[in-house]
Amino acid sequence: MATGRAAVEDAADHRLGNSKMPSTHDTHAHSNEGASLSGPSAHSPALISCRNVSKIYKMGKSEVHALNGVDLDIRQGEFVAIIGSSGSGKSTLMNMLGALDKPTSGTVMINGENVDRMPSKALAGFRNLTIGFVFQQFQLLPKKSAQKNVELPLQYRKPKAADIERRALHSLRLVGLADRAGHKPTELSGGQQQRVAIARALAGDPKVLLADEPTGALDSQTSTEIMTLMQTLNAQGITIIVITHEAEVSAYAKRVIEFRDGKIISDKQREAAA
Amino acid sequence: MNYLTTLSLALSSILERPLRSLLTSLGIIIGVAAVYAMLAIGEGAKKQVEESLNSIATRSMQIWPDWNRRRSSQSRPSMPFTEQDVREMRTINGVLAATGSLTGRSYTIATAANDINGNFMGVDPDMLRSGGGEMKLGENISYADIETRKPLVVISEGIQQRLFDNQNPIGQTVKINNVAFTIKGVTTKPDSNVSFGNDDIFAWAPITVARERVIGGNRFVQNHVSSLKVVGEIGADLDTIENEVNIILRRSRNLKAGAPPDYRIFSSRGWQEKAAEDTKSLSFLLATMGAISLLVGGVGVMNIMLVSVSERTREIGLRMALGACKSNIMNQFLTEAIVLCILSGLVGLGLGFGMSQLAMESMDVKLVFSPSVALISFGSALFIGVVFGFLPARRAAGLNPIEALRHE
Repeated sequence: MATGRAAVEDAADHRLGNSKMPSTHDTHAHSNEGASLSGPSAHSPALISCRNVSKIYKMGKSEVHALNGVDLDIRQGEFVAIIGSSGSGKSTLMNMLGALDKPTSGTVMINGENVDRMPSKALAGFRNLTIGFVFQQFQLLPKKSAQKNVELPLQYRKPKAADIERRALHSLRLVGLADRAGHKPTELSGGQQQRVAIARALAGDPKVLLADEPTGALDSQTSTEIMTLMQTLNAQGITIIVITHEAEVSAYAKRVIEFRDGKIISDKQREAAA
Repeated sequence: MNYLTTLSLALSSILERPLRSLLTSLGIIIGVAAVYAMLAIGEGAKKQVEESLNSIATRSMQIWPDWNRRRSSQSRPSMPFTEQDVREMRTINGVLAATGSLTGRSYTIATAANDINGNFMGVDPDMLRSGGGEMKLGENISYADIETRKPLVVISEGIQQRLFDNQNPIGQTVKINNVAFTIKGVTTKPDSNVSFGNDDIFAWAPITVARERVIGGNRFVQNHVSSLKVVGEIGADLDTIENEVNIILRRSRNLKAGAPPDYRIFSSRGWQEKAAEDTKSLSFLLATMGAISLLVGGVGVMNIMLVSVSERTREIGLRMALGACKSNIMNQFLTEAIVLCILSGLVGLGLGFGMSQLAMESMDVKLVFSPSVALISFGSALFIGVVFGFLPARRAAGLNPIEALRHE
């Protein structure tokens, strides 16, 4: 997928308005001078902060502790992979980080806001402005064109983003699909569909890109393509959190947090991304 | 999300599933068409009855001496009325016209070349108004003609047609009972509700002339008239008028208190009022049937919207994840149901108009486009949209985004 990669990089160039963009690592190092191995400063305030977060689901008489006293800080510009086996609590955490769910106890702060105290309407607005979701099954609306799909989060902006179309096209350009704007999801390959989904997540200019098994429905080559795109986006300063159970996918992240039985069992920084 | 976006979302959602939208809207289309057609037909029938209630026929009463009264020692033979009775009746409040006419047997009305048998009557000027007819040519009989006893005659269109081949007969002479009358005017046939059968061959002469030169006087009563007709104004209380007529007649005929009248008053307003009542209940029945079909259509809309919500659960979850709040989702589905109902309502309105036109043509009733009927039937479509769209929309808005996203 050499062309795919080229398209991704072209798109990245466009975003920065710089045709002589340094390599991913250079940009990264440059934009985080004096930073630790992980890149973003350990002293900068956390973008996402979980304190003693627990989530208990009641199943009849028994209780399931999906999250059990999780403490976690994610800073601006990080590329975090959350790994763990099925049932380890990573999806529950993803719902917390995406402001889709509230903890049973503990606090989740996102971008300085205490999520568990927000009413659902404010939460919806908060999600719209702060978080970009990427799902395993792409979750594109099959009857709408790629562009219309990308425009979706902008429809809920207040006041409505005046330049919805321009922003959607720009977003599609970022993922190298500007020429496919008019195509419906069924006319696109799996990789392209996921790129449309990423474009949709980016359209609202979020603080965090939250991807739940983004390559789960893709072959390995396309997975590489998607993860490389994520790396490029991260290099441009977007905070990315990927939930995955695939080691190859987590290899693209700079920080890997492993979950088991609702608890963090390891939290490692990588020296360099794959 | 502003209203325009919600509206365009609803429209695109409807257009994305054209067959389903069409089938769903069929119920509403038929319902609205039925409501419109039923109400319009009911309204048309009501209007017709109202018109007939306001017609001269309904507002008039004919008064005849009671010829069937048994003659006995206590009762005298029934007497004709007098011109004085007529003059008094004309002063009753709410009376449009009061006329007394003198009718004889059938007379031959002849020109030099032709003749015809017709109804010859002695009349006063109110005869024209009380029958709802109009002067087609020339002038009506006047009070002066009655006073001066000029042998003038007003003929009917029927006579003009048969004796004068529709040419202008004014000033020409006809002979009735060998008396030469000069034609003063031609009148149209009276209101169809007033005259019965082949009643368009008639000639009117001033009552004095008719009495003195053709029909003959009455032995007992001077200036007699054989029948009276009193017409009320539109909206006048006909019962009050009838009471006044009774008072005048009882006094002039010297009837003792409690004595039965020796005359009879005929009017058609009783059965016409009943017809109006019947029409009202018919309209109600028809509208109820329309409402029931609309209700069935509404249930269809709700059913499809519920299916749509469950089919689009993932879309709802996605929209919520991307920033839609409950009210956005609620509005989206509610707007979809309402837009569907409004579009169906418009189509149904057109269909209903066509249906009622057809029905009215076959029933020979004039169709009147009634904005209130259109508003009611269209409004009911809107109402159905809101009512039956509400539950599915609320269900959609109440979904948990996490579960909705996982929905298969």
